[in-house]
This record gives sequence, C-alpha cells and structure tokens, in this order.
Amino acid sequence: MSAKQVRQQFADTMLAVGQEDPELVVMVGDISHGILQPFAKACPGRYYNAGILEPTMMSMGAGLARAGLYPVIHTIAPFLIERAFEQIKLDFCYHGLHGNIVTVGSAFDYAYLGCTHHCYGDFALMKTLQGVQITYPSTPVEFDTLFRQAYRNTALTVYRVPGSQHGVDFPVSEIRLGKGIKVADGRDLTLVATGPQLKTALGARDILAGRGWDAEVLYVHTIRPLDEELILASVAKTGRVVVLEEHMRSGGLGDDVLRTTRKLPSVQYASASIPDAFVRAYGSYEDHCEAVGLTAGGVAALAEREFRR
Amino acid sequence: MSHAIKAVHRGGRLLNRDLRRRIVDMVVAGNNGHIPSAFSILDIVTHLYDRVLSVDPDNPQWSERDYFVLSKGHGCLALYVNLHRHGFITDEDVAQFCRRGGILGEHPDVNKVPGAEASSGSLGHGFSYAVGIALGQRIKGAQNRVFVLIGDGESHEGTVWEAAHVARNLELGKLCVVVDWNQSGMQLLPHDDLPAKWRAFGWNTLVIDGHDERDLRAAFESVRFASRGIPTVIVAKTVKGKGVPMLEGHGMWHHRIPNAAEYASIMEALS
Repeated sequence: MSAKQVRQQFADTMLAVGQEDPELVVMVGDISHGILQPFAKACPGRYYNAGILEPTMMSMGAGLARAGLYPVIHTIAPFLIERAFEQIKLDFCYHGLHGNIVTVGSAFDYAYLGCTHHCYGDFALMKTLQGVQITYPSTPVEFDTLFRQAYRNTALTVYRVPGSQHGVDFPVSEIRLGKGIKVADGRDLTLVATGPQLKTALGARDILAGRGWDAEVLYVHTIRPLDEELILASVAKTGRVVVLEEHMRSGGLGDDVLRTTRKLPSVQYASASIPDAFVRAYGSYEDHCEAVGLTAGGVAALAEREFRR
Repeated sequence: MSHAIKAVHRGGRLLNRDLRRRIVDMVVAGNNGHIPSAFSILDIVTHLYDRVLSVDPDNPQWSERDYFVLSKGHGCLALYVNLHRHGFITDEDVAQFCRRGGILGEHPDVNKVPGAEASSGSLGHGFSYAVGIALGQRIKGAQNRVFVLIGDGESHEGTVWEAAHVARNLELGKLCVVVDWNQSGMQLLPHDDLPAKWRAFGWNTLVIDGHDERDLRAAFESVRFASRGIPTVIVAKTVKGKGVPMLEGHGMWHHRIPNAAEYASIMEALS
C-alpha cells in the first residue's frame, strides 16, 4: 500500500496538472489549505480558499466553467454533495457545464465527528443528475490517473477521495474511466467491491476459499459510467454476487448491480453496505466497518449465510 | 432605516410602452407568464441592452462580450423582448412562448435561448454564478464586464449574501449587481434596509429610481469597472407591474393571465 494518502495525491496532482494547464482553477472550502500551498505558489491567481460558503462556491465553480476554465471544487463530502446539491443540479448539470468535485469525508471516514460529517448517500444523489461521472479512486495512482482522464472532458466529475486505501497497486494502463478491473478469477460467486473495500473483498475471498468457495473479485472505481459488461459477464458465470460498498444500501452500487443482472436467471444477491440509517455511534473508521459487517469475516459469513448450498 | 421605506419615483414619462404591450401579448398568447415582475425590471434591462452591454446578436458567445445574468428568472419576459428587439431571437421564437416546441419558457434556458447567460428560476443562484464568471474572466486576464440582476425577494436567500461577501473580498470590480427593489421581499420580512446591508458588506452602493432614464444612465456611467476594485450594486427602486395601475403592487397579478376585458384595459393604459 502506498504510504501517501490519496488526499495528498490530490494536492500533488493539482500541482502537476496546474503547471501544465493554465486553465485549471482550484477552489476549497477551508480544508486542505496547507497541502495545496505548492499549487497556490506555482499557479498564482488560480487557488482560492473561498470561505465557508459551499453553495456559493459550487455556483462560482459553474461560473468559472462558463468562463471557459476547468474548476476543481473541494471540501468535505456532506457540505458539497448534500448542502450544495441544488447548485450541482442546476448550475452545473442543467447548464451543461463541465467541472470537478473532489470530496473527502464520504461515508463515515470522519468517523469520530458524528453524523453531521458523514455522507453515505452521495452515489445515490449524484446518480439522479444527468451526465455526472462518479469516481472512487482509492490509491494515489488511481486518483492521478482518473483525474487526468476526466478533468477536461465535457462532464461534471465527482472524485470521492477516501481516507483509507485498498492496497492493490494497479498499473496505470489498467485504470480507465468507466472500466472495472477483474482482480481475481473465480467460479462460485462474485464479489464486487468499490473503494477501500477491495481489501475486504480479497480477505473474504481467502476465507471463503478455505471453506470451499471459489470467489471472483471485481473492482469498480467508476460508479458512473458503470462497467456493466464486466459485471454481467462475471455474474452470468457465477450466479451469485455480493456487493461491498461504503454507501447506504439504497441507491448505491448494489442497486446498479441488481439492475445490471436483472435479466440473468436465478441470480443470488447480497449487500455488504451501510444500513439505511444514521450511523449514530462514535468510534474509528474500522469500528464502523466492523459494525456494519464490512470486514473479511463479515462478508464471508454473509456469503455463506445467503448462498447456502 | 425603518420598514416604512417607500420607493420614490419622479412620476416621469413611462418608458418602454411598446415592450410592455409586447410582454402582455406574449403572456396572453402563451397563457403563462409573470407580467408584473417583468414590468418591474423592464426599464433596467432595456437600458442595459440599449446603452450599456457590449454584445453581438450574430455571435452570442462572442468571447469579449459583457455578461448579463438574469438571476430573477421569472422576470424573463423583460429579457426576451430585448433579445428579440436586438436580433438574438426571432418572431417565431416569440410566437412560441411557453409552447412545447418553443425555446422560450417562463424561466430562461441557457442552452436554448441565444443571448441568455444563465438558466435561472430557482432564486439565489445567479449572483454566485456571476461571481464565478467575473473571477474567471479576471483569471484569464480578460476585460469582460459582468452584470447580474437579482430581486429583493430573492435577497432573502442566504447565497445572495455569501456571494456579496466573497465578491467584495475578491475585489471583483468588473462585477455590477442590480437589485430590483420593488419591495416584494418586504411583504414577508419588512425590516429590510437593502442599501444599508450592501454598504455593510463593503460594496459601492447606489440607490436609484429604476424607472428613470436619467438615474439609470448616471448610475451605470459612474461604475468604474476596475479589474480589481470594489464592486458596485445599484439598488433600483421599482414598482412591480409598473405602468398599469391595475397590475401594480403585490396582489393577484403576480402570475395571472388577463382575460379579454382586462387585456383591453391594460392595452389602453399602455397606449
């Protein structure tokens, strides 16, 4: 696993891309200010710590795009995705403008801070908006690669930057926007993981192997557009699928997998995700994962329970 | 200043009678529209298109144009009649107002209407969006000016004051806000001294009669439009429904379509 945080890679990528592209502008809501100073110094006039006014920051980002620039808007997920939802919907999407939203603190990454700083429904909300690209780059190289592929295209792209990583170093050539990655072959069931939960899926695969189950593992770093072809081919082969995601059960990747596989005969499905309820407890990120069953043991047990042979 | 503030108008010649009649015709033909809101801002918007904005109907996306963001989207008939008069949109476009195949609706769609700069309607968006445009132009080293028209009711929205705060601190001198102060907002929240609020936010604040050509000309001519400087707000005292006594004020006419007798009466008042 890379020692570098994905969030630090965000800052490093802004510096590198910003020096190559004079039309890149970064605006933050009073976070990541320190790590973005190299960008601010190298790209004068293109870094703004706008203040604590996320809806206006989002609209300003749309205005920057209207002026022909490539905005990057960054702060904590609930304050961008939920508070500024209408600004995303109308000022970017209805206007048909391009742009980039980089969040940290999705799901319960800010575990100790409580529900005001959680955001488990971001995939669901963003999926209601036409044309939004949703990515979940969970290693530094994934962030850098996906950002470079997407930031100047015609869409609004969301980058959900996690606080932890899955630990698999995919080569750059395998990381393509909108394409999933088959991480391990199997024949008995498919584990579809997004974000850091790939690590959990690989751990669950090992446990299941010891119990006679041969699990295929797919990794999805792009929620929209989704690589339906990869998922369909795998589940058509195995007939069973578990989706692992740090997202509430409703509206997440699991719902997309169900929709994608709905025409297959007799597919068995299980969801390892966050229940549709506030995570009111405090504790660490790992504590929350444990509580909702997002552990290798929890997922293996879920698969055995749901897919009893 | 107390809530007893009332707009003071010189009671001069009514401007833009022909455009007011066209707006009424569009509303009757389309069976939709906000006549009083459009009449409230019509003289401001007309002054902008006639004497202030540098725009090109043959090339609405001209890179050196001035931007005019109508954040108060429900006043869009005032925008449409000016876009029509200046050749951005056609007779047929006007005839198709609010019809399924047309490009003109009760709120403008930037991807349909040549010359429109924003898809407005939900209040409290356009000003922040205009701040982004003004900042973007300055980042590019461009000289484009950015104008945005907001309502006083719209000024209930917190985003208006977020935008005022950030634009002042960014010193976006090429940004000019016009507030249509027809006192709609004061129907609900009467303690609403808008000029004092804008001054408190550090803006160059002008208060004018929004239906008076001399005031409009003097106000816009006084704005310096420096690349980096204090932005200007023109708080324009207006009358909702201006020009037709039966439409003026804050009553039922906000979104009412005139019947035949009312139409005749309105047209007589505008003759």
